[in-house]
Amino acid sequence: MSSLDDLKKRVHELRERLEGELASASDTAALQAVRDRFLGRKAGEITALFKDLGKLAADARKEAGEALNAVKEWSEGKIGDAEARFARDQRESRLVSERIDVSLPGRARASGSKHPLTLVREEVEDVFIGLGFDIFDGPEVDDDFHCFEALNMPADHPARDMQDTFYLEGAPPRLLRTHTSTGQIRSMLANENPPGVRVLCPGRVFRRDDDITHSPMFHQFEGLVIDRGISLGDLMGTLEAFIHALFGKEYPVRFRPSYFPYTEPSVEVDMGCSTCKGRRTGCRVCKQTGWVEILGSGMVHPAVFESVNARLGRVVYDPAKVSGFAFGTGIERVAMIKYGISDIRLFYESDVRFLEQFS
Amino acid sequence: MKIPVSWVKDFVDLAVEPQQLADDLTSIGLACDGIETFGREAVLDLDITTNRVDAMNMYGVAREAAAFYSLPLKPLDLDFEESGVSSNDVLRIEIAAKDLCPRFAGRVFDVRVGPSPAWLKDRLELAGQRSINNIVDLSNYVMLEMGQPTHAFDLVRLRGGLLKARMAARDEVVKTLDEVDRALAPSMGVVADALGALAIAGIMGGASSEISDQTRTVALEAAYWNPLLIRRAAKALGMHTDASHRFERGADPAAGPIAIARFANLVARGGLGNARPGLIQAHGSQIEDRHLILSLDNLDARLGASVSMDRAQTTLTSLGFEVSQPDPEGAVHLGRERELEVGVPTWRGDCTREVDLIEEVARHYGLMKIARTVPASRRAAGLTPAQRTERGLKALLAGLGYREVLHLNFVSSAKCEASQGGVVRIANPLSVEQDALRNSLVMPGLLEGLERNQRRGARDVQFFELGRTFSPSPEGPVETPRLALLISGETPRGWTGRPRALDFFDLKRTLEEILMRHSGAEVTFDRLGVPPFLHPGRAVAIRLGGATKGYLGEVHPDVIEAFSLKDRPIVAEIDLEALSSPGPPEFHSFSRLPEAVRDLSVLVPSTTPASDVVALAREQAGPSARRVDLIDRFEGAGVPRGEVSLTLSFLFQDDARTLSSEEVERSMDAVRASFSKRGYNLRGLA
Repeated sequence: MSSLDDLKKRVHELRERLEGELASASDTAALQAVRDRFLGRKAGEITALFKDLGKLAADARKEAGEALNAVKEWSEGKIGDAEARFARDQRESRLVSERIDVSLPGRARASGSKHPLTLVREEVEDVFIGLGFDIFDGPEVDDDFHCFEALNMPADHPARDMQDTFYLEGAPPRLLRTHTSTGQIRSMLANENPPGVRVLCPGRVFRRDDDITHSPMFHQFEGLVIDRGISLGDLMGTLEAFIHALFGKEYPVRFRPSYFPYTEPSVEVDMGCSTCKGRRTGCRVCKQTGWVEILGSGMVHPAVFESVNARLGRVVYDPAKVSGFAFGTGIERVAMIKYGISDIRLFYESDVRFLEQFS
Repeated sequence: MKIPVSWVKDFVDLAVEPQQLADDLTSIGLACDGIETFGREAVLDLDITTNRVDAMNMYGVAREAAAFYSLPLKPLDLDFEESGVSSNDVLRIEIAAKDLCPRFAGRVFDVRVGPSPAWLKDRLELAGQRSINNIVDLSNYVMLEMGQPTHAFDLVRLRGGLLKARMAARDEVVKTLDEVDRALAPSMGVVADALGALAIAGIMGGASSEISDQTRTVALEAAYWNPLLIRRAAKALGMHTDASHRFERGADPAAGPIAIARFANLVARGGLGNARPGLIQAHGSQIEDRHLILSLDNLDARLGASVSMDRAQTTLTSLGFEVSQPDPEGAVHLGRERELEVGVPTWRGDCTREVDLIEEVARHYGLMKIARTVPASRRAAGLTPAQRTERGLKALLAGLGYREVLHLNFVSSAKCEASQGGVVRIANPLSVEQDALRNSLVMPGLLEGLERNQRRGARDVQFFELGRTFSPSPEGPVETPRLALLISGETPRGWTGRPRALDFFDLKRTLEEILMRHSGAEVTFDRLGVPPFLHPGRAVAIRLGGATKGYLGEVHPDVIEAFSLKDRPIVAEIDLEALSSPGPPEFHSFSRLPEAVRDLSVLVPSTTPASDVVALAREQAGPSARRVDLIDRFEGAGVPRGEVSLTLSFLFQDDARTLSSEEVERSMDAVRASFSKRGYNLRGLA
């Protein structure tokens, strides 16, 4: 090559050849061969032309250099485009070939669950923690004092009939608590900040009963609030707030007088029937009353304060100065209403078909 | 209690529909469980609480309704004419046990016994009582109407013309109206004649003096019996009657003569006979009138309401209380102008203190009228560390694929595992199957739960239970909160791979996870001290800080057989109190310098615990070995019999500088040397 014209001719020919070779390159290896042949640092044909630049006359070098640079840039662009197209095609065909059956289920793994009574218990606890209650755990094995006597149910009290009791063999005499109301007495006796009390006592209770609606063991929670100036209005406001938090504000709450030996006045708390939504007609759950009993409650009976004071040996809870309210219900009962469960025994049979519904 | 509305209307002019009446009575504490309709008659089913004996009759319900609607309460019609010889000539009444019988009244009637007239039959039927004959029915009618049980004796069968309230003699027997011979004890009261017991006081009459078609003369008895003695006797005899139900809850001590007058009135009106002149009465122990003070300030404070003096006075008066204002101007004692003096009627034995009066006013004031408030809390509340641990464990285990189960505390003592610290027995169990408290959550509770599931075809289970176990001690039963785990069957089936049997190491992993989070103490697993219901070669005791706190292992084949179980269940149990609540995590800065990884395989006797090998390697590799993990265990082809190939992976890293490969090799040489010294054959660097 000796003249500028020669060079231009070579360049033109190179362009045509490159286009032809690119068109026929069928894979990335062929493409790489094209790149090496034209642009390779050692043997590339365009690279070689650059080396010949010096042989040209000085006045032609500039134009020749520009022409070479132009063809180099053009070639790189062409090859780059082809490479990109190949890469895109390759990626695309990889994506197609890697297709999986997304309709297959996820990898099998054992799934666990908390017991429905735990779900309810934790929910109840959280509502009351939000209202400033501590959670108080009492023993399941207790004695007559904490279970009955201190709760204004002396020996032979008729109310004891409703709570047929399991007694344990051996001495000293012990029984299985029939209600978590024992927590009232125990939390008052153990109180580190008297006379104020605000506790929720959840736990197992035991009664000699066994049929479709009764189990000899079930769960309750008992609440107790004691302070100066606690009123029946406080009881009703707190329990209404609780029921609305647990079931929803759409359920009306009804308070009516009742009887428990350890509260006076005593108050039964009903909520609107969640099954018939208060329509009454034909509803078996609420026996067509539109209401279901949800809590027993009342103002702490002065006799309860007096028993606790007597046990403490000094007046810590002076009925003339402090008052309080207590409430309680069955956790199973709440769960049965909340989840629509009709047989209490399901809770204790560890039947996976039951448990897995609460995952 | 069944309350026919028409009967209540005898005493109060009710204008409301039965449904409204039911709702209103419910609102004042006489809860209505339902309304039944028979033709034009509506019958309310009232659930009267045990303290309200006074409301367990038509007149008591009428009194409540009259007070609620501010209507007048009509008196009972007690008018009657007397005729014939005096009751006193043929009947004597005597109280030999003053505590048993504070009041005893009686009168003699000439009667014509026969079937009851329709009105009497119908009313009793509506109230749920079966008709017997006109005289017995009238006695029941009076009780249902005004609450006082009475008993009619056939006078000719009273030997010595005597009715005597006394305690039963030892081994005295009475055949009661239900034809059952009742053996009595001296703690029980009887009504006797001159020769022996005729009836069980306050509970049931006797067959010997029963009214029959031949009866011409009746001695009607109406007494007030000591509630406690009646209750004990009824309980001891296993009897529960309409009469005992009322007496043991405390009847009206003054009601006896009224009941007899009402009976006389009804006998005369029905043309069933006539009352002989003379009411015979005897008094045992004295019954005091009761007067209470009600402070309006206390009332308002207790209710969180503002009740007017007038309102309180009206309510109490309408319920039969006698109310006066001892010091209306506060002249004698400052502050007493807000007090009422309240005389309690004889039928309200339940009202013994001021709070009882507060309840009376509150009931009729209307609970729903009281403003509902939430008292301000003084302290931040929350869970204790132990309660947080429990919740944390439940969440962790549910997340790890375990289902929480709960079982009864009751177990058969025969199925209890004696090794678990003795058994606490129930003195009055429901059945021999439930005669003891569980001393283990696993034995038999969880195993029985597994068996039930296997019977239903569910073999692959992972259960946990948190609950208390019980063991005897001289101070009484000791309660221990525990966590138990059970796995059985296979890993879940799925298209991604073949299921495999769950084994010891699956459960061990779960325990490691629990202990990693919830134990600050050093954890060791030890073959010694394993309970006998576990496979001795596949079980460990769990020691925390050296103390045994639980166990883990495969269930013993004998136990699997005894419980008719399939597969090879693995169980674990651990004391909850040994587990703690994790405090906030403490951050440790970590090295960002390069790590060097070396793997080493070694042949050891298969009886050598792998943990010993790892511990030795860890010790020899020195502090720059940040981790030493067992990553493979193999026996079989290429490994001599009786030996096992273990592959350990070492990760070296220093906090301050990059370790040279010479340093790493020096550590590995030390490991290799110690292995050779033990006679372990190295298999070369992997």
